[in-house]
Amino acid sequence: MLAGLGASYGTAAVYATRYLYPARPRAKAWMYVARVADIAPGGSLNYTTPGGEKVAIARQAQSGTVDDFVALSSTCPHLGCQVHWESQNERFFCPCHNGTFDKSGKGTGGPPGDAGQSLPRYPLKSEGGLLYIEVPTESLEVADASPPRDGHDPCLGPHLGDGARV
Amino acid sequence: MFSLQAWIRERVPVGPEQLRELTNEPVPNHLKKWWWCLGGTPAYLFVVQIVTGILLAFYYKPAPQTAYESVRYITEEASFGWFIRGLHKWAATLMVAAVVLHQMRVYFTGAYRKPRELNWLVGMCLLLLTLVVGFTGYSLVYEQLSYWGATVGANITDSVPVVGVYMKQLLLGGEVYNDNTLSRFFILHAAVLPVTMAALIALHVTLIRLQGVTEFHFKDEDPKKAKFFNFFPEHLLTELSIGLVLMILLSVLATVLPAEMGPKADPLTTPEVIKPEWFFYVAFRWLKLFTGTLAVLSMGLVVFLMYAWPFIDAQIRKWRPNSEASVWIGIAGALAIIALTVWEASVAH
Ligand code: HEM
Ligand code: FES
Repeated sequence: MLAGLGASYGTAAVYATRYLYPARPRAKAWMYVARVADIAPGGSLNYTTPGGEKVAIARQAQSGTVDDFVALSSTCPHLGCQVHWESQNERFFCPCHNGTFDKSGKGTGGPPGDAGQSLPRYPLKSEGGLLYIEVPTESLEVADASPPRDGHDPCLGPHLGDGARV
Repeated sequence: MFSLQAWIRERVPVGPEQLRELTNEPVPNHLKKWWWCLGGTPAYLFVVQIVTGILLAFYYKPAPQTAYESVRYITEEASFGWFIRGLHKWAATLMVAAVVLHQMRVYFTGAYRKPRELNWLVGMCLLLLTLVVGFTGYSLVYEQLSYWGATVGANITDSVPVVGVYMKQLLLGGEVYNDNTLSRFFILHAAVLPVTMAALIALHVTLIRLQGVTEFHFKDEDPKKAKFFNFFPEHLLTELSIGLVLMILLSVLATVLPAEMGPKADPLTTPEVIKPEWFFYVAFRWLKLFTGTLAVLSMGLVVFLMYAWPFIDAQIRKWRPNSEASVWIGIAGALAIIALTVWEASVAH
């Protein structure tokens, strides 16, 4: 009797927990960014994900492989707020708990600096001389209050930029 | 002749005598002074929250595309919506304050000691639930603060070792804030948490009834005078007058300092200056002082020590019967909380 009760209600409880748990991971896809040859070593460009997040993609070497590139996310590794680039201080700043990061995304101050956390990087790959980035394809509707997007369609081609401005 | 009274008595076999018996808990004399009645204040405010919350829920639409607009509608277009929302918001603030004051009263008078340790545990659960209801509540408005508060809150659970990552996904219904998140917060805020709280409040009051309120005797009291007075009607009248004062206070606050609309949530930009509600200033400052996991684990430890306090205190008193440690620890704790709150309130970052 007890075993029966345990088994039936237990199974229902496990199913209920599983029901509340997300059914699938966040959808991601590889998106085309630019031709590898179009980004000179030392140069960078601003890429906008389908959800609107701005990603600074910088080329740091000229081996011609994907390892030349880094794509910094602007999501703070501490508790998930959005960092922004402060050009006067040459750093990324996170307003939530005063986290700071240098140009390469390494934590330099605040809780993420103390914990040695860096800004996360998006996975990149190059195929046939073309650079691709793996980004989430689902996102919330962006609020009207946000600054106007720079009007560039990620599928048509990137804007070539100069600095790590996010 | 048909007698309504007899008809009811036959079906509900409770008479005025039994009712009197049931409600006539003798109340110690010191409860004539209002500051001993702080426990009734959160209970009263809880009822205010249920009523105003149900009213808000008639128009509120819990989805990222609709939530902000529906709260704006409540605030600006629905007749007296601003008043209902103001009451709900101010009662939430006062409720946190009242729970904290009530807990301080219990702490500094040692009312958590044997045999009332279990009720202290119930009270601690109610304190945490009140904070969580407040948190989920302001996440519903879908302002900037709602969005970033929810994101930071979910990532705090993520910092808990081992189980954190699952807890976060359960809370958000995904890896990050997504279309399922707001309805979860709403169900927690308007159903799961209030029902749990109602059950715990019932348990809290039952335990009080079973054990009686702690008695205190003051030097200026006349030893010959009765030590107790009746719950009904004397104590009920005290509580009702507190209820009247609170309703006036709430109405004035809701009118003079009405609930407003902050900027709408923008998942792409965290505002340059961002602060939670005042009752989370302590935790917010703490998070700025230490790395993620350390801050979360140390806060967990503090909460654990608060739960365990009646048992820790009993050990201290076994060892040193006249120890005043509890008072000093209490004062130090209260000062630390006030200091961190004032610090957070006085700076932008
Ligand atoms: C039990 C204690 C409760 C507390 C402490 C509490 C607290 C809060 C807080 C702080 C807000 C944000 C207020 C604002 O910025 O406008 C809020 C919003 C809301 N609450 Fe509650 N609440 C409680 C119970 C309830 C209940 C029982 C319901 C519904 C049945 C409810 C429904 C709502 C709704 C629909 C909103 C969003 C609309 C708005 O913000 O005006 N609440 N609550
Ligand atoms: S979320 Fe960036 S510092 Fe805390």
